[in-house]
Amino acid sequence: MEYSLQADHLTKLFNGQLPAVNDITLRVRPGEFLTLLGPSGGGKTTTLRLLAGFETPTKGRIQIGDHIVADDSHFMPPEKRKIGMVFQDYALFPHVDVAGNIAFGLRGSSKDKARQVKRLLTLVGLTQFAERMPYELSGGQQQRVALARALAPNPDILLLDEPFSNLDTGLRAQVRSDVRHILLETGTTAIFVTHDQQEALSLSDEIAIIFDGKLAQVATPHALYNRPVNMQVAKFVGDANFLPAEAHGMTADSRLGEVKLFHPKSGRVQLMIRPEALAVGFDEEGSRATVLWREFYGHYQRLGLALADGTTELIARTGVDRYFQRGDAVSVSLALPALAYDSESQHVLS
Amino acid sequence: MSIQRLASLLLAAALCCFVVAPALGDDVLTVYSGRNESLIGPILAQFTEDTGIETEILYGGTSAVANQILTEGENSPADVFIAQDGGALGALAAADMLHKLPAATIARVANEAFVSPDGVWTGLSGRARVFVYSPESLDEHGLELPNSIHDLTGEEWRGLVGWAPANASFVSNVTAMRVLLGEEETAAWLAGMIANGVQAYPKNTPIVQATIDGEVVGGLVNHYYLFRFLAEDPDITATLHFFPAGDLGSLINAAGAAILKSTDQPYDALALVDYLLSDTAQAYFAQTTYEYPLVASVEPSVDLPALADIETPEIDLSDLADLQGTLTMIEESGALD
Amino acid sequence: MQLADAIRPRLRINGHHHRVLARWQVGNRQLAQAVSLAVVAVVMIPIAYLVLGAVSAGQEGIDYLIRARTLRIVGNSISLMTAATLLATLIAVPFAWLTSRSDLPWRRAWLALGLAAMVIPSYLTAVTYTEAFGPKGVLQSLLEPFGVDRLPPIKGFAGATLTLTVVTFPYIVLPVRAALLHCDRSLEEAGQSLGLNRWGVFRQIILPQLRPALSAGMLMTALYCLSDFGAVAVMHFNAFTRAIFIQTESYRMDKASVLALLLVGMTLVLLLLHSRMQIRGRHYRVGVGASRHLELLPLGRWKAPALIFCASIVFLGVVIPLLVLFKWLLGHTLTNPIQVPLNLLIHNTVGVSAVSALVVTLAAFPLALLAARGATRFNRWLVNVAYAGNVLPGIVIALALVMFATQNMLSIYQTLPLLIIGYAIRYLPFSIGATESAFAQINPRYEEAARSLGLSPWAALARITVPLARGGILAGLALVFLNVMKELPTTLILRPIGFRTFATRIWSAYDEAFLSSVALPGLALILVSAFALAIILRREEAIS
Repeated sequence: MEYSLQADHLTKLFNGQLPAVNDITLRVRPGEFLTLLGPSGGGKTTTLRLLAGFETPTKGRIQIGDHIVADDSHFMPPEKRKIGMVFQDYALFPHVDVAGNIAFGLRGSSKDKARQVKRLLTLVGLTQFAERMPYELSGGQQQRVALARALAPNPDILLLDEPFSNLDTGLRAQVRSDVRHILLETGTTAIFVTHDQQEALSLSDEIAIIFDGKLAQVATPHALYNRPVNMQVAKFVGDANFLPAEAHGMTADSRLGEVKLFHPKSGRVQLMIRPEALAVGFDEEGSRATVLWREFYGHYQRLGLALADGTTELIARTGVDRYFQRGDAVSVSLALPALAYDSESQHVLS
Repeated sequence: MSIQRLASLLLAAALCCFVVAPALGDDVLTVYSGRNESLIGPILAQFTEDTGIETEILYGGTSAVANQILTEGENSPADVFIAQDGGALGALAAADMLHKLPAATIARVANEAFVSPDGVWTGLSGRARVFVYSPESLDEHGLELPNSIHDLTGEEWRGLVGWAPANASFVSNVTAMRVLLGEEETAAWLAGMIANGVQAYPKNTPIVQATIDGEVVGGLVNHYYLFRFLAEDPDITATLHFFPAGDLGSLINAAGAAILKSTDQPYDALALVDYLLSDTAQAYFAQTTYEYPLVASVEPSVDLPALADIETPEIDLSDLADLQGTLTMIEESGALD
Repeated sequence: MQLADAIRPRLRINGHHHRVLARWQVGNRQLAQAVSLAVVAVVMIPIAYLVLGAVSAGQEGIDYLIRARTLRIVGNSISLMTAATLLATLIAVPFAWLTSRSDLPWRRAWLALGLAAMVIPSYLTAVTYTEAFGPKGVLQSLLEPFGVDRLPPIKGFAGATLTLTVVTFPYIVLPVRAALLHCDRSLEEAGQSLGLNRWGVFRQIILPQLRPALSAGMLMTALYCLSDFGAVAVMHFNAFTRAIFIQTESYRMDKASVLALLLVGMTLVLLLLHSRMQIRGRHYRVGVGASRHLELLPLGRWKAPALIFCASIVFLGVVIPLLVLFKWLLGHTLTNPIQVPLNLLIHNTVGVSAVSALVVTLAAFPLALLAARGATRFNRWLVNVAYAGNVLPGIVIALALVMFATQNMLSIYQTLPLLIIGYAIRYLPFSIGATESAFAQINPRYEEAARSLGLSPWAALARITVPLARGGILAGLALVFLNVMKELPTTLILRPIGFRTFATRIWSAYDEAFLSSVALPGLALILVSAFALAIILRREEAIS
């Protein structure tokens, strides 16, 4: 089995409106962690619900493992798909205790169930909470119960719909890494929906970016961050500076002088420069700039820079080994090759 | 929940309905009674006890029940109709819905004024229309006893008289008035009573109660209701006034019974009618409900004036069959509003 | 606003409602739709027969319709409804305020006693008022020393209005009180900071927030007044229901149908007017607001008048009826020669009410599911038709079902199933409303979570939705039970021969002045009703 999940040309129309999901094709390998990333209302949750079987696709085909679960003629209801799902608000059954919630999807003798529940409670580190009711748990605990409940029946694939968005910032990072570890430990294939690019970048094996119902790019976090397929993706995944330039093969002329390009290009282009690709200092080399503002984050700092031409502003991110303040005259240069987009189509390759 | 479970729940609910539903066996005699349960119920229970024939009894106003039978027509579940007055029985006779009774049954009734000329219904008990009043209230308001029901439209009686305009005995009283005095004069009397603030009650008993309580000085009722109250409290001073000189207010009428043509139990039905004319039942009417027995072998209660001594207006009870006409007139008068 | 939507006024006080993204797969909806369709078909019967009955009256019917006497009935009903609704509002709003936002002593006790008026059916309140306030009644005997030897007759407009005011005012107190408790306190503080005094705050800040609750409560009251039979029958006030009853009892079905259609039309107009107002006033929402502790306003020197006010209401609503019933029970009244064992009455009344409540709840279930989870145009239409009971007073349904049974289905004429169908049509809206709002408050994600864990749609319904909605469903059940138990005209007209309930026993005993036979079933009925009401109120508290 090459893929745990294959979705081809998935399309969903809600009566008469623009397609919520428009011709999306995905592949997920066993044990992989795929993230659907995109702005709110962009169709990623609908995509997940199509995979889960809570919505019927208008067009397209879904295969989970060896089974075709939806195509033009078949529709397999969610309970038959062997999926697990973790909901944004967890949806822990409020009338059932923690153990009951986890055992909900289990079949077999009560002894088997009890053993299984115990195993999962240990996995998520909640052994002493078996008899609590959901409302007696903190958000992070509820989250872990929801995960345990979804994992209990050994689903072929786990679907997570914005599972961390209801957690406090401080808690979120911890729970996030806990979940990642549990999924690695169990070798679970997972599809995860989020609008938070930090979350997506830090957790995923692969990220699928969805804008307006359409798949914009599927790539590893690294590739997505460094080589976003277009300006929209670039802006969505992290900070990005755009700078007009004239390209000649592997170099281009810009307000930062001549810069190296990632791909050969020619003619008018837009350079995409990540803030950390800018080297800021008090050197002789490089373009001249003035510090407009500074935000200090402890392990790094963000700087707003105005180039000497007076019209171009850039954002830079540097380490904290140097001290900058508003009004400093600084030098700025590009430390890495830049990505160049065609000015008209805003795409890298056109 | 599986579909089966849902279905079985529904089924259980449906079953519940029929468990609660009383067994509607075919051998139950269905009686439609226009007489109050408190008057006829005990003797009907006695009938079942004595004969073993089960009954189910629908109680309602005589006019309403007669109308119900007319509406149900051939389909009526009723086997026997017991009416408060001859008028309603006459209405069913006119619609040809009544079974002819055997001569032997009819012959039990001493006075043939109380049976139908065609022998399709028989009287069961006689009674007089009277004016029940409280002597204290009469004095208090400085009133004289009325000589005629027409006197009650006088200003001095404003708001002090009670009636039960939907009651069958009252309806047949009005029918008699239409027959003897004509439509116009009858309508004028009804209008006069209403204009004079007559107090309406649902039935006769509350009129007597209201008289005792002093809510009204007196009211138009059948004679026997007062005796119920006297039996429990002999100190009650309310008493009966028989309008003199054949005034319409003292109409004598009879409660009666008939067998429906559509009955599927004619023998049980006849057994009931015969039972109601038996000495047992007639004695019950005489002693317990203070009505006039209609068979020669049973004496009326000592407390009552002899039927023959009451000056009743000259009228043939079978002429009182135009129930609908009277009901319409009463309704149009606004008496029911 | 569609006519069909207008007949579903809802008392939606607060709470989160989940409707979005709650869809069913087609296959699972079909069974619910099929059952709903069957239920709706039954609901359509009375409407169809009513129209048929009125049409069969033909020209005669039209003549009857436009007669002065018929128009007077319209006038009577409208004036009764208006007077009782306004009076009920006038006493309900201060009562609700006093029992929720003031420092009135024994607030909860006053509230409970005030609401207890709901458990006394209108005919029972009415008969006790004839005794208490009649020309020679209890009140008169108390006034005797002051030279009052006769009071004006209570029967008629005055008596009917008094009775209906007292029995309906709780229907305004409940929503208004809930709204008062949920008023956004910060708005009041904002008002104060802008220089409003206490009265100004009430008039300009609180009252506008009460508007939806007030109008919903007033609508309930107005509908109650139009459809009530007991009070007008006892008080001999010729409103629609009494006129229809008189015609029905005399089996003049065509005239009764004409009157009934006219009454239904009036009810519809009322609902339409209400829904228009709702649309205009939509921007006033009861705040979901932070439930900060509400500050109780000190009454100061108004404490004594407030206590007297509450005491009078409780006295009218509960004390007088109970006192009169006890007086009849213990005092000397005419003995009824027909003694019906109390346990037979309890068995019949509780039995038929329980079965009806069960049937109604089961029938409402698929409709409520469609309403909460399957919003399509066709389903909305189905649900709206099922709400027809809101515009069909009991007497009207009974009349139409008699026509139906005598003309087309004699086998169920005068049987319990027909009686139960009558109750069911009348009270289906109560159950759908309660069940639907219980469903709507359940996060549809719970059902999806269950499906993702391998449960079929029906299993998810049984293990998740129903247990979570249980409180709401039970409250609906209790509400139907309570109302069926009190229902008079439907019972009188549709009951099987010889079938006695508390209501019919009270009715026939009062007819013949067997007052102790009124008292015992009356008190028993009040007692059983109080239990049902306690369940309902507990639920209301839980929601708010």
